[in-house]
Amino acid sequence: MELIETTRQALELLVSGDSGLWRIVWVSLKISVGALILISPLAIAAGYLLATQSFPGRRLIVVITQALFAFPTVVVGLLLYMLLSRQGPLGSLQLLFTQTAMMIGQMLIAAPILVAFTLSAVQGADPRVRETAIVLGAGRLRTALTVLGEVRFGVMAAVFNGFGRVISEVGCALMVGGNIAGMTRNMPTAIALETTKGEFAQGVALGIVLMALALGVNFAMSWAQGAGAQRQ
Amino acid sequence: MSTAPVTLGSMNTTLRDAAPDDLVLSCAGLKRTAASQLILDVERLDLTRGRTYLLSGANGAGKTTLLRVLAGLDRATCARFLFDGAPVDLAKYPERMRRQLGFVQHHPMLFSTSVQANIAFGLRAAGASGAEVKRRAAAAIEWAGIGALVNRPPRGLSAGEKQRVALARAHALDPGLYLLDEPTANLDDNGKELVTRLIDAIGAEGRTLLIACHDRDLLGLPGVVRLHMTNGRLDNSL
Repeated sequence: MELIETTRQALELLVSGDSGLWRIVWVSLKISVGALILISPLAIAAGYLLATQSFPGRRLIVVITQALFAFPTVVVGLLLYMLLSRQGPLGSLQLLFTQTAMMIGQMLIAAPILVAFTLSAVQGADPRVRETAIVLGAGRLRTALTVLGEVRFGVMAAVFNGFGRVISEVGCALMVGGNIAGMTRNMPTAIALETTKGEFAQGVALGIVLMALALGVNFAMSWAQGAGAQRQ
Repeated sequence: MSTAPVTLGSMNTTLRDAAPDDLVLSCAGLKRTAASQLILDVERLDLTRGRTYLLSGANGAGKTTLLRVLAGLDRATCARFLFDGAPVDLAKYPERMRRQLGFVQHHPMLFSTSVQANIAFGLRAAGASGAEVKRRAAAAIEWAGIGALVNRPPRGLSAGEKQRVALARAHALDPGLYLLDEPTANLDDNGKELVTRLIDAIGAEGRTLLIACHDRDLLGLPGVVRLHMTNGRLDNSL
């Protein structure tokens, strides 16, 4: 009965447009989407270069990237905390417990996913795409954009996957954000806090939003992968 | 079939001397090694401007490798390589040479954009203005007779239609030398005829063609010079 009552209260919160709750959703989306917008071009370029260029240490970089894929987000948070804390090498920037710090953390978490997925998508591309672009006189940038355009569904899957990972991560956000209400409190950190306080309604409401986002991302990813497979 | 100003392969037999100015491409000692094996060993190859060369040979003889090396897709070493009379270092494949070569692969790849965008691709890459791109792409579409294909998605085209779009895409750039890899292979009679007509038209425009093929139909093209490859070497067995 308590679960039903809590769910009813959560739905009421969502429908009533509770400003505190939607502020948390906004902070989450702003940080995660911002982090992806900033890191995606770099990470996609890195994935493309790893897939198409051979240079000493390439294999090692690929292995490290794949290992970072499963790196605990709390460890990323810890390392970033040490860098940004007052005594840390980047302490003078005074970024700790800010949205910028959370964004940097999420960029670090998303980067290996974006690199590895892009690498895989480009490696799976028909080699004639790159060759055709080259023989038609395309320079390096145009060739890269052409290949990435041909594997756009794989690249989109990379971005969706990265978003799915960062929107729901709690460890890094809590450590470098500090869960400050209205500032750095995002959905996962708010859920953790409300649960410890025994305030389940807001936690469940945020959980519903988070699950809806996760489902939406999964649908989008399945669509992207399906559309990509159809083109093969 | 005519005798040709071409120097063929390992036996270094000159059929007729060509003035250096007539040669669009001239190379000696062209070699490519893969997995420690010499897979291309062309002692000499001279291509005279305006000629059509048919390169025959069994599967694996090195025809595609030779075309890919000339197109700058595969690395090779060369003792002497001249393009349009100027020396070329194949390791630093020059842009000038790239712009003068039209390479159409066996099973040509069309980007999954549109037929129009495919034909405009090289023009855009060359930095042509919007109006110029539009004009030359339209001319290439008309030349290839593919107006009816323009609004169809490239992946829905037949093999013959793809081949014609690829030829139009190369033709839009107006290269001096075309490298065609099995352009009529696996096409039905109608597709073969339409593609052969385009190849004939390229020759009639005074362009040079080097065509790897098994197809005897292409032997009927005017002024064709036959080359033959065996085990990565050009020979004059024909």
